[in-house]
Amino acid sequence: MDTIRRILELLGGYKWLTALSFVLAFAQMGLGLVVPRVIQLTINNALLGGRPGLLVTYGLALLGVAAVRFAVGVGRRLASGKVSLAIEYDLRNRMWAHLLRQPFAYFDRWPTGQLMSRAMSDIQNVRMFLGYGLVFFVTNIAMMAAIAVILVIMDWRLALLSLTFLPFLLLVTLRFSRRLNPILKDVQQRIADVTATAEENVVGSRIVRIFAREDDELARFSDRSYRVFEASVAAARTRAVYIPLIAFIPNLAVAFLLYYGGRQVVDGGLSLGALVAFYSYLMMLVSPARVIGWLTGLAQRAIASGERVYEILDAPLEMHEKPDARPLRGVGPAKGTTSAPETGADLSSSPLGAVDFDGVWFSYGERPVLRGVTLSVPAGRTVALVGHTGCGKTTLTNLVPRFYDPGGGSVRVDGQDVRDLQLADLRRHIGVVTQDPFLFSTSIAENIRFGKPDASEEEVRAAARTAQADDFIEALPDAYKTVVGERGFTLSGGQRQRIAIARALVMDPRILILDDATSSVDAETESRIRTALREVMRGRTTFIIAHRPSTISLAEQVIVLDRGRIEEQGSHERLMAAGGLYAQMFGDAERHGCCLDDAGGDETTDAAGAAVGGVA
Amino acid sequence: MPAASRHTGSTHGVGASFEEMRGWRAFLHLARELKLARLARLAYPYRGRAVSSIVAMIVVTGSTLAVPYLLKVAIDDGIQARDMAVLGRVILAYLAVSLINLGASYLQTYLTSWVGEHVIYDLRRQLFAHLQKLSLDFFSRQKTGWIVSRLTNDVDAIDQLVTDGVTTLVTNSLTFAGAVVLLVVLDWRLALATLSVMPFLIVATLWFRSRSARAYALVRNRIGDVSAHLQESISGVRVLQMFRREHSDYDRLTEVSGAYRDVNYRTVVQSGVFFPFVEFMSTAAVVIVLWYGGHLVGGDALQIGVLVAFIAYLDSFFDPLQQLSQLYNTFQASMAAVQKIYTVLDTAPDMQDAPDAIDLPDAHGEVELRDVSFGYAPDSPVLHAVSLVIPAGRTVALVGATGAGKSTLVKLLARFYDPQAGSVLIDGHDLRAVTQRSLREQLAVVPQEAFLFSGSILDNIRFARPSAGDDEVKRVARIVGVHDFVEGLPDGYETEVQEGGSGLSTGQRQLISLARALLADPRILILDEATSSVDAESERRIERAMEVLFSGRTSVIVAHRLSTVRYADEIVVVDDGRILERGTHAGLIAAEGRYADLYRDWEATGAAL
Repeated sequence: MDTIRRILELLGGYKWLTALSFVLAFAQMGLGLVVPRVIQLTINNALLGGRPGLLVTYGLALLGVAAVRFAVGVGRRLASGKVSLAIEYDLRNRMWAHLLRQPFAYFDRWPTGQLMSRAMSDIQNVRMFLGYGLVFFVTNIAMMAAIAVILVIMDWRLALLSLTFLPFLLLVTLRFSRRLNPILKDVQQRIADVTATAEENVVGSRIVRIFAREDDELARFSDRSYRVFEASVAAARTRAVYIPLIAFIPNLAVAFLLYYGGRQVVDGGLSLGALVAFYSYLMMLVSPARVIGWLTGLAQRAIASGERVYEILDAPLEMHEKPDARPLRGVGPAKGTTSAPETGADLSSSPLGAVDFDGVWFSYGERPVLRGVTLSVPAGRTVALVGHTGCGKTTLTNLVPRFYDPGGGSVRVDGQDVRDLQLADLRRHIGVVTQDPFLFSTSIAENIRFGKPDASEEEVRAAARTAQADDFIEALPDAYKTVVGERGFTLSGGQRQRIAIARALVMDPRILILDDATSSVDAETESRIRTALREVMRGRTTFIIAHRPSTISLAEQVIVLDRGRIEEQGSHERLMAAGGLYAQMFGDAERHGCCLDDAGGDETTDAAGAAVGGVA
Repeated sequence: MPAASRHTGSTHGVGASFEEMRGWRAFLHLARELKLARLARLAYPYRGRAVSSIVAMIVVTGSTLAVPYLLKVAIDDGIQARDMAVLGRVILAYLAVSLINLGASYLQTYLTSWVGEHVIYDLRRQLFAHLQKLSLDFFSRQKTGWIVSRLTNDVDAIDQLVTDGVTTLVTNSLTFAGAVVLLVVLDWRLALATLSVMPFLIVATLWFRSRSARAYALVRNRIGDVSAHLQESISGVRVLQMFRREHSDYDRLTEVSGAYRDVNYRTVVQSGVFFPFVEFMSTAAVVIVLWYGGHLVGGDALQIGVLVAFIAYLDSFFDPLQQLSQLYNTFQASMAAVQKIYTVLDTAPDMQDAPDAIDLPDAHGEVELRDVSFGYAPDSPVLHAVSLVIPAGRTVALVGATGAGKSTLVKLLARFYDPQAGSVLIDGHDLRAVTQRSLREQLAVVPQEAFLFSGSILDNIRFARPSAGDDEVKRVARIVGVHDFVEGLPDGYETEVQEGGSGLSTGQRQLISLARALLADPRILILDEATSSVDAESERRIERAMEVLFSGRTSVIVAHRLSTVRYADEIVVVDDGRILERGTHAGLIAAEGRYADLYRDWEATGAAL
């Protein structure tokens, strides 16, 4: 009930147009009711009454009514169409605006498909109801009432007789929609199952072929499709029973009308014209009655959809920017800024980038991931975070740009708690590269300038060069103008990662977070990126999450996380010597002769050769 | 009025040329183009029901059309003639006709839907089965979403057409035709008078059809744009937030959404003018009939009952016109869908068993590439006359730079593609001469990305051999090292795997993929190693699993990890589509060739862990 009220309130923004459409709809209905009356008069007076002159008068009157009805009909459709389309537009925009302000945690819970269906088909269901469903509903009910009144006025006994069927008809119609709707929902669900199966099969087509499971897959799919067939036929059967029944009931009434009305005409108690009018009006009752059933279904769907839409709109924002949030205050000009500060406010654009984690706790639902991590990273330092999967490395770095808020403790940048800062400003200074970077379906250049839309072509190129992406980009047919395919998948994993690195670099951020950012890049390219990054990382606070010792070697300090706590920290050499967790994890490197410093080639080759020589 | 033209620029496609044609010619042209005959042929197995439903439709139409006639008789022969007996009989006839209508309507709706839904089911199956036969080349050329859309959205779009659409088309056409006949029979003079409105209606209908067809196509495009934009933005919302692009994305959405709204409003205007106009014309027709008919009645040249019936039949004349016009748009939407579906169905499966293909006998496992050349595009070869013999039971590692052709080579070995020159042989049998099924039973591939289906871990491993019992699956899982981490999971082996990968780490998924290959126990194993790095622990497990997997069969590995090379009896260096070097690890290192360089690079990055 509440939802229907809120949906109706949406019309409030378009009061005048809505009122106009209702007025026009009633006018249209009223004029429609006039037609049988005029026909009645024509038959009685002009034809039977022997006054053919009146024919022209009545004819013109009818044409006049039809013309006005035309104008009114057009006006109504335009008005209600405009309103409903405007409401659809508003709702969709509002929904997206609200979603954009939700944090990562929200999107961790909501699959894309669910959000999409709400933004597309649910909003459309609401629109269709508001667009014509509502107006029809009201005018049809009014029409039925008006016709009933007219009939009673014409001849109350006959009216009573003919109208007895009406409540019965309504009941059947309502029962019909109540029966049909759950079946239709079932059909929808089964169609969704088929879609899911189809998707899986297409994506995994290679595996299906490899294990020669085509027949099984076909059987599974056929099964699901057959269920759709069964449910659809069930729906059809319901329709096949009720719809003809709903059409039949008025026919009974007509039969009665003809008999008793006919007798009355014969006895002189009723004019023929009146009988014909009665018949016409009775027939005019049929379609509204039928339509009410369909409209009820429309209303039900609109309510269900409305609830889903409001679920999104009503969701409280899970991350707040404080009303008095400040921009990040710098402590002085950082290296790399070219011009002297123009105004005092320029200080805010040059933070140092020191990051402090103070007793940070974080849990995903019930599972604690970080347990009281305290870490101080001075400005410009490069630290590597290592540890087993799930130990909290990514979670920790996610707290810096405030993608998530800690459950306990605090994160500070340059001594300021990130929760006191303006989100946009904070993020301006932090560049993030993830393992599986998302690129948009626009040009490579646009993707690279994503964080700094006004970056010059030279800036874009420079960033791409550092990221070792310039070469392959230039080799593409449209170079930087090449449009990336959806989700960037026409590029290889390594190419996407390099573009993502360029994207982060172009912003010239004070803090850089590289989360397994070169995992898909081959060894040779990676070493080139490493060389370039060494330059870039100077003067920037950098967090590196990696598994390869060569990448880890870029860091001045290594932090080893285990089960949400810092186990060890120190330089690579010191940790290896300490023989703790770090040494355990990377100890095999020694066995394989993997060198992080430039040791002699022969020694390592022999060691490796010995290992390989013993073949399985 | 646009002139009919068969030679409109082909760039406009079927839709545009149709708008410019008229009536039956257009329908026939369309039918041919859209292979409606093929669609109709799908209904052939159910012709009994289909014919019955058409008979039912005829009965329904007939009984509906009978009503105004009965009304005429009631008025003229009953009421006006003051004959209650006749009136009584007519009313009974009326009730009988209504009951017939009821029964026939039931049959019509049920049978049409039954046939229609079954056709949809058959079409879906046909499409799916065909997809299973298509080569992997097809799948790599098309986006997943595009292919799935054929199976779902497009088939659904036809749904309305083959159920309600057919009924509406047949009944309304019959009603219209019947009404015309009855009108002429009742009084041909009035019928002629009524026809005076036809020219206006024809013009209006043509105008509406061509305009609305284009507008609706635009609406479909624009809503597609909105959907695509939202899909991408929602998927990448974190990146939007990371780089502070919320505002510009919001602006973009309002733009795209606004374009859709404006186009949609255009359709509102078009129908907003057309349908009231048709209503106006129908009232105008009534006026004409009243004038002329009234004049005739006045001159005793016509009975009142006839006039009343005539006016009643006008409804049966105009109503179908409106319904058919509305149907037209549904038809348009289904058009596009049918085209797309048949595009897929008409794509020939690239790889079919030769008519005289034999089953590959229990292989020893000797693999040979003989002078093989291949390219994904015919004019850009990836492999150049490659020859390679791998004796049975050997483990061979393929190494080389990205794009050298390693993955392509193994794809040919697995017969995902056929070479353009030369041949691929197993135990001396050319792969093209053996049945694909027998080949698949003896050869397994572990691809780069571990693809798991939705289902339990157990189901996923068992996918390789559905007949394997739980014990056997668990034994394999233990060998591979899957058992260790499965025990730690709350649901154990029954843990549901999500396609999105949530729940299991990359390393764990790779292990499951390896377990699956082991269960298949193939004579020949092809492994395209994953490139993404995993933590040291997972790395170790995967290594051990591979060690087990390679023993006792011919294994060909595309190696990315330094450690994998350890397990190979032999290493083959591929460069630029050719085999550069070949030998044991020690031998190649000593030779100081390409392999030696590669190896040194690997060491430097510590790719071995």
